[in-house]
Amino acid sequence: MQAEIQARPSASVAKLTLDTGEMVVCEVGSMIAMSTGFHVATTARQKGSSGLWAGVKRMMSGENFFLNQFTAQRPQQTLLIGPGVAGDVIHHQLHAGSLIVQGSSWLASGPGVTIDATFAGLGKALFSGESVFWVKCTGHGDVFLNSFGAIYEVEVDGTHIVDTGHIVAFEDTLDFRVGKLGDSWIGSFLSGEGLVCHFSGQGKLYCQSHNPPSFGQLLGPMLKPRPA
Amino acid sequence: MALEFDIMQRPDFSLLSVKLAKGQHVFAEPAAMASMDTSIELKAGFRGGLLGSVGRMFAGESLIVNTFSAPTTGGEVMFAPGPAGDILHYALQGGRIMLQRGAYLANSEGVELSAKWEGARGFFAGQGLVLLQAQGTGDLFFNAYGAVLEFDVKDDLIVDTGYVVAFEETLRYEVTVLPGLGLGSKAKAFFFGGEGLVVRFFGQGKVWVQTRTVHPFLSFIHPYRPKKKDS
Repeated sequence: MQAEIQARPSASVAKLTLDTGEMVVCEVGSMIAMSTGFHVATTARQKGSSGLWAGVKRMMSGENFFLNQFTAQRPQQTLLIGPGVAGDVIHHQLHAGSLIVQGSSWLASGPGVTIDATFAGLGKALFSGESVFWVKCTGHGDVFLNSFGAIYEVEVDGTHIVDTGHIVAFEDTLDFRVGKLGDSWIGSFLSGEGLVCHFSGQGKLYCQSHNPPSFGQLLGPMLKPRPA
Repeated sequence: MALEFDIMQRPDFSLLSVKLAKGQHVFAEPAAMASMDTSIELKAGFRGGLLGSVGRMFAGESLIVNTFSAPTTGGEVMFAPGPAGDILHYALQGGRIMLQRGAYLANSEGVELSAKWEGARGFFAGQGLVLLQAQGTGDLFFNAYGAVLEFDVKDDLIVDTGYVVAFEETLRYEVTVLPGLGLGSKAKAFFFGGEGLVVRFFGQGKVWVQTRTVHPFLSFIHPYRPKKKDS
């Protein structure tokens, strides 16, 4: 499968070219355009993963219960996929180990990658304001992620701090704990940073330039009330 | 005489600059003008007679088309579309191009715009049943939300209905659900697969596809709206 990311960073899409027999699993609703030589299957589960429970966990991680599988039936088939809101798309090559992806940032992955929701730890999840489950990508192959705003990469070697709303994904060689910024809780909240993630170890970390709730909370109060 | 133009800040905040020579005209949708030289004159009016104007209205455009001219000396006028996104130029040479609802931005002399009734298959994005058709010889400018990618269709292409911006009239098309599935899986892909309706283009010609639509943004912002209080 060949991949090309276009229109970065705010209107990014992934243009994939697949040969006969190649397959890619995509987030539901992400298909923008495609050649006609694909077989499309909507499924609650990925090949080799365990049925319904996988779908339920995926739903709790902020992803859709269903997945769409695109399998090329002819050579050189084009598939254009993209996220809904303005933001970036990146291509991560998974060689070994796992990539932990924040709820809604998973866009697509190749057949060699198992996607599973992972329990982030109840305490961590509640305090980080994120969902209880994160998406865990394990195996070998292509992973496509999307973000709100642009994506920047941090190679962590030692420790690093990220605001919880700015995490896109990280390699599981990294450990993380959610906590306050600085010495005091009051200082941490007054600074507007609230909770942050303390990463430690060695590995790659993807962050997004913008925090979706910050933008939502800016616009929301200016809009007409919604029916209760 | 072809227009001298430049499209800047692509694709996120595209802006169209047109440099008019003395005596030249350019036509644009209302409110598209961002800035202009004082030598440029603006006249608002109905174009293509009453029927043409009403047709345009059904195609999601305004009844009015503004005419910008440079009667005494040349000058520059800048146009910006409503949504943040891409602007594309298409040189009409006697052919026809179809525009999705709201995609029209501006055109030169020699281009004729009309509404085309597309019947039930015209219900792209569940909106109008009418597309805007441009024909003649001259320059046409259209805009979109997000970036625009051009596809040169050789045999066929499938595009989600909400993402079609424009296509050449040499292409035939039908609105359908994702093909190549059995009836059961077809229904499943439609209801659960989130892909909804797609347009399937046949033949040869170009299709322009936008990379975002406004609906996901509206869905994103919806939960942040205040809740209505019971009275």
